[in-house]
Amino acid sequence: MMLFGPELYYLGLAFIIFLMTLRRTPRVERDYNLTAVLAGVGVLVSLLCLCQNGELFYKAYRVDLFSQIFKAALALGLFLVIMISRNIAHIEERFRAEFYLFLTTCTLGMMMLTSSVELLTIYVSLELSSYSLYILVPLRRGDGIDVEAGIKYLFIGAVSSGFMLFGLSYIFGAAHSTYLADIMKAMPQMLHSPIGLVGLILAMAGFFFKLSVFPFHFWAPDVYQGGANQVVAFIATASKAVAVALILRLAALGVGLGYNFAQVLMVLSIISMTLGNLVAIIQRDFKRMLAYSSIAHAGYVLMGIVGLQEAGFASAVYYALAYLIMNFTVFMVLSEVASDGRDLKIAELAGLWRRSPLLSMSLILGIFALAGVPPSIGFTGKLFLFTSAMNSGYFWLVLIGAVNGTLSLYYYLKVVYAAYFMESDLPPIQLSLSTRLLNYALCAVILVFGVAPNSIIELARAAVKTVI
Amino acid sequence: MTEHLASFPVLSCMLLAPVVGLLILLFLKEEQGYLIRMVSLVAAGISFFLSIYTFVAYDKNLGGLQFVEKIPWVKAFGITYFVGVEGMNAPLLLLTGIVIFTGVLTMWELKTRVREYFIFQLALVTGVFGVFMSYDMFFFFLFYEIAVVPMYILILIWGSTRKIYAAMKLTLYLMAGSGLIIPGILMLYSSSGLYTFNMLALHGVAFAPWIQKVAFVFLLLGFGVLAAVWPFHTWSPVGHVAAPTAVSMLHAGVLMKLGSFAILRVAMYLCPQGFQYWAQFMGLLAGAGIVYGVFVGLAQTDLKYVIGYSSVSHMGIVGLGLATGTIDGLNGAVFQMFAHGVMTALFFSAVGYIYDRTHTRNILELGGMSKIMPVASAFFITAALCGAGVPGMASFWAELMVLVSAVKVFPIRGILAIASLVIGALFALRVVQKTFFNDPNPKFAHFEDVSPFLGLPRMILIGFMIFFGLFPQVMVGLIKTSIVPFIQGM
Repeated sequence: MMLFGPELYYLGLAFIIFLMTLRRTPRVERDYNLTAVLAGVGVLVSLLCLCQNGELFYKAYRVDLFSQIFKAALALGLFLVIMISRNIAHIEERFRAEFYLFLTTCTLGMMMLTSSVELLTIYVSLELSSYSLYILVPLRRGDGIDVEAGIKYLFIGAVSSGFMLFGLSYIFGAAHSTYLADIMKAMPQMLHSPIGLVGLILAMAGFFFKLSVFPFHFWAPDVYQGGANQVVAFIATASKAVAVALILRLAALGVGLGYNFAQVLMVLSIISMTLGNLVAIIQRDFKRMLAYSSIAHAGYVLMGIVGLQEAGFASAVYYALAYLIMNFTVFMVLSEVASDGRDLKIAELAGLWRRSPLLSMSLILGIFALAGVPPSIGFTGKLFLFTSAMNSGYFWLVLIGAVNGTLSLYYYLKVVYAAYFMESDLPPIQLSLSTRLLNYALCAVILVFGVAPNSIIELARAAVKTVI
Repeated sequence: MTEHLASFPVLSCMLLAPVVGLLILLFLKEEQGYLIRMVSLVAAGISFFLSIYTFVAYDKNLGGLQFVEKIPWVKAFGITYFVGVEGMNAPLLLLTGIVIFTGVLTMWELKTRVREYFIFQLALVTGVFGVFMSYDMFFFFLFYEIAVVPMYILILIWGSTRKIYAAMKLTLYLMAGSGLIIPGILMLYSSSGLYTFNMLALHGVAFAPWIQKVAFVFLLLGFGVLAAVWPFHTWSPVGHVAAPTAVSMLHAGVLMKLGSFAILRVAMYLCPQGFQYWAQFMGLLAGAGIVYGVFVGLAQTDLKYVIGYSSVSHMGIVGLGLATGTIDGLNGAVFQMFAHGVMTALFFSAVGYIYDRTHTRNILELGGMSKIMPVASAFFITAALCGAGVPGMASFWAELMVLVSAVKVFPIRGILAIASLVIGALFALRVVQKTFFNDPNPKFAHFEDVSPFLGLPRMILIGFMIFFGLFPQVMVGLIKTSIVPFIQGM
């Protein structure tokens, strides 16, 4: 029971919200409060189940520290996103309950993903989470841009799922098993045929899509721009974290494949970060810019995976968690500033320092964390990634990563420039008490775990031991 | 190097005083201007006092690393919080203390967005203190970046003259430097096989020569950007001109020293063979910087540009001193870092006062300022004399030591450097003459001279400059305690 605790809880939560959706006349305020409280309790439940350990469903489902950390992160991600969803101007009131419902089912699917250690389970869980997002993206009330985003997301998602199934079939064909543990044992025999390598890379495609790694990144800018701010916040945080988790699980299979596999990951990493950063420079829309920055960050995360070593995996876990927090911080500011749900241009941040000093502080911390400026989790995480890549001998990768860090600073600074320097005569932004507390908490987390990362990194190390 | 643990965490207090001040400021309101200034002043004052304390209390006979604090930080990556004081960083900590304290006083008249200004300034100075005292490369680099990034906002909001351009240029240049530093540091980290960022432990590793050569050039160029090594100096005059007064003081006075200090502390210390290999190249860049800075500075009409380019040439002297690799050269280089820091701070502080009143820094327009603001002018002229290397001022000794050893090691570059410094001094006096002793500009006749309170920070700077000019042995004796073992260890 405790082993399956978080999943059961979110299944129950989904059921409760489902009942809400059945009402003819929506009761927005009450539904919201209930959902927010229950999502908060969900974080506690996931934290309570943090140290569970065991296997379920004929060993297709493994509960270990690794999966539980990501479950807690997902629960936190859902809670945070619901915290900023009090007034979602761009989603009609009668669809609010559906909005919560699909967020919850998506979280449930992703939680199941982190524990799946069998190919079919992975695929089924992946689709559960993806379908929820396919519905959430076009839920926005808009002028067609939402539909375009939804369709793009669906198509590219379907294509990458196709790739993934193809890859899984290769792996199954070569290893005669769908269990990751068995496949790992069979991997050394595939060392001399390309089938293992091709199968594995293709199998990872589904998660490269979620993480927006080149060449599965095309959806990101349009979905970020077209989706409602809160939905995008969820896609940009929780969904990325789970993608990292699954890429780590699958990459662990490739340890035996060694050099070739790492080379492929390295190339993807370099292209992702360089492309993401270069294109982000010319963006004017804040969310589009963040989309390209997420492509770049996907490249950074791959740096930790390339080495196929424990320290690198731990760094990637740390960075995934850090990215969840810092990216969410930026999205929180974005959705507060664009409280009517519009797409925010970077220039529209003008005068933020006067309109709301607190938000501008959160923004600058979040942006600096994304840019890798100390003392923030972003800096520490990036340095850990670089360190572990260097320890595995990827000097050029580190050099390119470091140069990319400089490139990215340019467009991050443009945000700071708009928020701190440009003037506007818009009225001050009023923040509710819960939002204020959320701001303080996020800022504190960004700084404290940036300066003192030891506890998190030890946790991450303990977690990845069960994977690799 | 022997390590003597601290009985009381003096260095941590020095480091955390600005952080605590910054946190208090976060909870103050913009309207509480006086309180904001007082909090910043007290925070800066505590650091200043502690930096004097470490300077005076450092036991020269004992030597080695003193006031050491060591706390394991991240075991998985071998990161330790490791701070200490020795002969070569004690003067620089003192310098930082002086400049931040006088900087807060200099900005006493600030009117716009006071709270934010002091928050960012205190953040910056925390980084500077941290770099000078850290013996762990992770923290070294962390503080290094903390010191660099707030500059963007400080220049952007409170700056002048092409500030948007200057702020972006400066930040991108310095971050590009960081892009070179990271691979350099990590290369040493991972090839040592020790999995530690502790510099003293890494010093004990004999790195393969090719690693030293590669890592050294990465670190030299990366840190060299911040030290305004020619030809990566172009951000510096532009940045200094655009920055508000106290930020120019901090930046030219202290921040650029981070670069040269890091070359000494990290690059030369960890890659001695790399240094031998690149020493000629380093000397070449430094020599070019000296000559270039002097001659370009001559052509400027903006007072701050004059100072900016003179900084390039003075930092060239530091670089030349380092490149000699001799005891006197390194001694002089460290001394020059200190002397130039105090001198430039005074320069910018004096110009800042004049500019705040007249809103111009054009030499010809200012005319005979000494008749209108005799005291303010005297501050500038004192700094100019120091810059010209007049005996009795701190930088005289520093430059003397560097140039004497430079002539021995690199005769041609040394003589060229001396020649251009002499010409530079000549022209510096012309600048002083034109700005302060021409016919006074009637537009500015009604401005008041520096009040005793506003004169205080400038007086402190002059005091230190002359004290170490008259008693250079205090400084040289201290620096020597760490330079001699440093050279022997190379």
